Amino acid sequence: MPAPDVPSAGKASTPPPTPTNSAPVIRDYRAAWTLTGPALILMVLILLVPVAIAGLLSFTDYSLGSDSFNWIGSANYEKLFTRASYEKMFVATLTYVVTVVPLSVALGLGAAILIHSLGRFGALYKTIYFLPVMATLLAMSIAWEFMLHPTIGMLNRTLELGCGTLLERVWPFLANGCADRFPVWLGDKRYAIWVICFIGVWQGFGFNMVLYLAGLTSVHRELYHAAEMDGARSAWDRFRLVTWPALGPTTVFVVTITCIRAFQVFDTVEAFWPQGGGPNKSTYVMMFAIFEKGVQQNLIGIGSAITMLFLTFVMFLTLIQRWLVERKVHY
Amino acid sequence: MTRDWWKHLILILGMIVVIAPFYLMVSYSFKSPGEIERGEGGFFGRQELMVDERCVSLRAPDRKDIAAASQRFPGQTENAIRTALIAEAKSACSMRPVVFNYTKAFSEAPLLRYLLNGIAVTVSIFLIQAVVALPAAYALAKLKFWGREAVFGLVLFCLLIPVHAIALPLYIILAKLGLTNTYAALVVPWTISVFGIFLMRQFFMTVPDDLIDAARMDGMGEFAIVWRVMLPTAIPALLAFAIFSIVAHWNDYFWPRIVVTGNRDLFTPPLGLREFKGDGDGSYFGPMMATATVIVTPLIVAFLLAQKRFIEGITLSGMK
Amino acid sequence: MTELSIVNVTKRFDETDVLKGVSLDIADGEFVSLVGPSGCGKSTLLRIIAGLEAQTSGDIRIAGQSVVDRRAADRNLSMVFQSYALYPHLSVADNIAVPLKMRRLSRLQRLPLAARLLPSGRAASRKIEYDVHQAAKMLEIEHLLNRKPGQLSGGQRQRVALGRALVREPAAFLLDEPLSNLDAKLRVQTRAEIAQLHRRLRATFVYVTHDQVEAMTMSDRIAVMMGGRILQCATPETIYEDPDHIDVAEFICAHKINILPVEIADDGQLHLLDRRLELSVVGAGRGVGSLGLRPEALRLAGENAPIRGHVVHRENLGAELFVQVEVAALKERVTLRANPEQRRALQLGSPVGLEFDPAKALLFDPHGKRLRQLRPTFAAKPEVA
Ligand SMILES: Nc1ncnc2c1ncn2[C@@H]1O[C@H](COP(=O)(O)OP(=O)(O)OP(=O)(O)O)[C@@H](O)[C@H]1O
Ligand SMILES: [Mg+2]
Repeated sequence: MPAPDVPSAGKASTPPPTPTNSAPVIRDYRAAWTLTGPALILMVLILLVPVAIAGLLSFTDYSLGSDSFNWIGSANYEKLFTRASYEKMFVATLTYVVTVVPLSVALGLGAAILIHSLGRFGALYKTIYFLPVMATLLAMSIAWEFMLHPTIGMLNRTLELGCGTLLERVWPFLANGCADRFPVWLGDKRYAIWVICFIGVWQGFGFNMVLYLAGLTSVHRELYHAAEMDGARSAWDRFRLVTWPALGPTTVFVVTITCIRAFQVFDTVEAFWPQGGGPNKSTYVMMFAIFEKGVQQNLIGIGSAITMLFLTFVMFLTLIQRWLVERKVHY
Repeated sequence: MTRDWWKHLILILGMIVVIAPFYLMVSYSFKSPGEIERGEGGFFGRQELMVDERCVSLRAPDRKDIAAASQRFPGQTENAIRTALIAEAKSACSMRPVVFNYTKAFSEAPLLRYLLNGIAVTVSIFLIQAVVALPAAYALAKLKFWGREAVFGLVLFCLLIPVHAIALPLYIILAKLGLTNTYAALVVPWTISVFGIFLMRQFFMTVPDDLIDAARMDGMGEFAIVWRVMLPTAIPALLAFAIFSIVAHWNDYFWPRIVVTGNRDLFTPPLGLREFKGDGDGSYFGPMMATATVIVTPLIVAFLLAQKRFIEGITLSGMK
Repeated sequence: MTELSIVNVTKRFDETDVLKGVSLDIADGEFVSLVGPSGCGKSTLLRIIAGLEAQTSGDIRIAGQSVVDRRAADRNLSMVFQSYALYPHLSVADNIAVPLKMRRLSRLQRLPLAARLLPSGRAASRKIEYDVHQAAKMLEIEHLLNRKPGQLSGGQRQRVALGRALVREPAAFLLDEPLSNLDAKLRVQTRAEIAQLHRRLRATFVYVTHDQVEAMTMSDRIAVMMGGRILQCATPETIYEDPDHIDVAEFICAHKINILPVEIADDGQLHLLDRRLELSVVGAGRGVGSLGLRPEALRLAGENAPIRGHVVHRENLGAELFVQVEVAALKERVTLRANPEQRRALQLGSPVGLEFDPAKALLFDPHGKRLRQLRPTFAAKPEVA
C-alpha cells in the first residue's frame, strides 16, 4: 500500500497499526513472545515433558531411588493386557464409565426438563441438586460410608423399616435382607462397584443438569408453539421435534466431560478401600491403579504404561467430541 | 401446582437422596458417640452432657496430684481424695456433644492449619494461573505475531491433557528435584491452566480492537495494556474462572495425596480429613463429621450466597 | 365454509387486562389485518385464536363451531411466526413436511426407519414428499429443499415458514408480523407475494402487523386495535377516509394528520381559532372537539382563510411538496400538501392562509369519537363586508 503524505483527514481514517506499518509489528512481535513466554514454558514443562517422560518410562523398569534402569520393550503393556488384576482394572473402569455416564446424563436431562417446566420451586431443586458438585468429594465419601454402614448406617436402618410390611412380599431383595441380614455394601464384591457408580452419579448429575438448564433456556419458545401448530400433540413429540435437537451440542459436551470425569474416579475408591481397590479388586479403577502401582509400590514402568493408556482414552474422547461439535456447528 | 404434583414428587424424592449424606454429616457432627451408635436423637441429638473419657484418663490423678490436693480435702483418706479428684476431672471433662465434636475437630488435628494451607494453596494457584494466563491470552487474542497459530495449536492440544492423568510423571519430576512434601509441590503442577488461557482468549476476542488502539495512542505499552485495560474488562470472566479454579483445588484430593506424605504441616483439608479417618475408632465419628462439615461448609455457604456466579463458574467449561 | 368468529374475547395477564372484549367476524376467504401500536394485544389475540394461549372469557368459532375446548394442534389452523420458528436441525424439505408427518403418519410410522419399511408408511411418505414439492414450487424454493434454515437468507426463511403453513389445507392462516425481520425492499416484494398467494388460495388470512402500509395494501379489511379493543374494522378506504375514532385517524395515515381544536357551540356551530366556520354539527353538546384535517384536505387560500401562519419548513418530495406552517395560536405545526408548482408562494417565512375542504374534514368529540353529522352554515355572512 503506498502511503502518500496526505494531509490530516486521510490519515485519521486509516487504522493505526496495520501489518504494513512496520514499527508496531516489531513491537508486537517482541512483546507477544514475552507475554506468551511464561505460559509456553510452563505448558511444555508441566504438560508436554511429563507426557514424554511417561511415554519413555513405560518401556522401562525404572523405579524411584534406583540409579539405573533397563529398557524392557513393551513388557509393561503386555502385562497390562494379560494379567488378571489389570483385567479387573479395565473391567472396573469400564463398568464405572459405562454406568455413570448414561445415568448421570439422563438424570441431569430429566431433572433439567422437570425443573424447567416448573414455575415455582425450580430454583430450590436446582440449588439442592447442585450441592454435591460443590462439596468436597472425599468428605462426602466418608458421609456415604456412614450411610452405607452395615449395622448403624441410615440405608440399612431405613430398609429395616420395610421388614414385616407388604413391601417385603413384593420385593425379594428386602425379604432376603430381613430374613438374613442386609448387605455389607462396601465389603461385598457384588455391590462395591455399584456403590461407587451410585456415588459418581449422585455427585455428577447436578452439573449436567445445570448445563442442560442453560441449554433449555436458550431454546426459542416460538419453536414449541410452531410444533404445537404443526400437530405435535404429545410432550414426547415436542421433545423429539424441538427439545432434543436443540440440546444436541449440550449433550455432546455433557457426555464428553462426564466421560473424562468418570475415567478419573479416585476419591471414593481411595476413601473406602485405602488398600487394594475394593473387595476382590472389584473397584480397582485406573487412577487408583496409577496411584498404587506408580506411587505406593514404586513400579513406575507399569504406572507409566497405565498413564499412557489413560491419556489415550481421554484424548480420543475429546477428539471425538470436537469432531462432533464441528460437524454440528452448521445448523 | 396440582397438575404438576408428580413432578414435585419425583424431584422431592431425588432431593432426599441428594441431601441424605449432607444431613447425616451435619447431624453426626452434633451427636454423641452413643447416639450415633444407636441411631437416636433426631437431627440435633439430645445434647446431654457427655464425658470425654480420654480427657478424664489424661487427668487421672497420680500421687503428686493427691498430695497437692490433700490440703483442699483435710482429714480424708487418700482413696477418698482420689475419688473426689476423678469426679472433678469428670465434671471438667463433660460437655455437650456438639462442643465436644467441634473442639475435638480443631484440637485433635491442626485443622485450622489445614484450612489455612487450603486457602494458601488455592489462592496462590489461582493467582499464578491468572498472572500466567492473562498475558498469554491477550497476546493470542489481540497481537499478530509469527508463530501465533502454532502457540494456539499447542494450547488446543494441551487442553486434551488432564493434569491428574499425568500425575505420575509429574510426581517423578518433583521427587527428582526433591520437591515432594513442599508447598511448591502442591502448587506447581497447577500453575499453568491451559483452559484458563483458552477461556480468557475467547473473552478477549470480544473486546474491541479500538479499545486497545486507544490505549496504545495514550502511550501504554503492551504490559500496561494487559494489566490496566484488559484485566479490568475481564473481571467477570476472571471471577468465573476464579470460582472454577478455587472449587476444583479446594476439593482436590488426588494430587495432595500423592505429593504430601507424612508431613502434617502441609496437609490440605481433604488430607487432614483422610488422616482423621485413618486413625479413628468408633468414638471419633462425631469429631470426624465435624471436620468434614468444617471443610465442606465454606464453599457451600459461598455457593448459597452467590449461586448464579458459582454455577456460571463451575459450568464455565461448558462455554467452549 | 371456514369463517372465523371472535366473540367478546377478554384476556388478563396477572393484573393487566390485555384484551378487553374483542369481537370480530371474518368471512371465508377474507384477508383481515390486525394493526395497532406495539403492545396493544395483537399477538395475544392471534395466539388465542390459534389456541396457544387461553382466553379469560369469550368464544372462538371456526366454521360456526366453538373451538375453545380444542387445543392448538386440533384447530386446523396454520401460523407463521415472527421469528419463523423453523426447526434448525431439519432441512427445508423436512421442515415443510413436519405438519404433514405429524397429522398423516401414525406414531409407529414416524419412527426413524418405519417410513421406509412399512408399506403403508412408504405410500404416505411418498404423498408427503409430493405435497412438499408442490408447496415449494408455489413459493419458488424448490432449489433450497436440502438446505438447513441456518443457510438461508431472511427472505428465504420467511418463505419456508409460509411453505410450512400452506402445505396442508388449514381452515385459516394466522400470520404474526411475518415481514418485520426483512429489509425494506424485500418487505415490499414479499408483501405483494403474500397478497397474490391469498388471491390464489382464496383462504382465510388473519395478518398481524404494526405497519399500516402493509395493512392498507394487502387487506380486504383492517381491524385497528388499541388498548385491547378493536376501534374499527372496515375496508382500507373506509378506515382512511371515514375513521370512527380520532386514534384510528391518527394511526392510519400516510402523513401525520393535523388535529386542530374546535369549539362546538350550543347550536352546533363550530369555531376554529376563534373564527366562525361555515360548518355546524348536529346532535353534539357544547364543548371542545377536534378537527382532523389530513394534509391533502388543506389548500392555500387568501388573507381571509380560517387558518393563517407562516411557513417554517418544507419537504419537497418531487411529486408533492409538504409544508409545515406555524400558526400563532396552535402548539403544533400544520402540515399542508401542496403542488410543487406552488413553491414560489411557499418560501420559508412567507405568510400563508389555509382553508380546507369541508367534505374531507373529520370532526371528533372530546372523547375522540367521530361526529359525522356536519352541515354547512351560511347565515352569518352578511355581517362582515
Ligand atoms: N405471557 C405474558 N404475561 C404477561 N403479560 C404479557 C404476556 N404476553 C403479553 N403480555 C402483555 O400483553 C400486552 C400485549 O402483548 P402482545 O404481544 O399481544 O402485543 P402486540 O400487540 O403483539 O405488540 P407488538 O406489536 O410489539 O408485537 C403487552 O403489554 C405485553 O406486555
Ligand atoms: Mg406481537
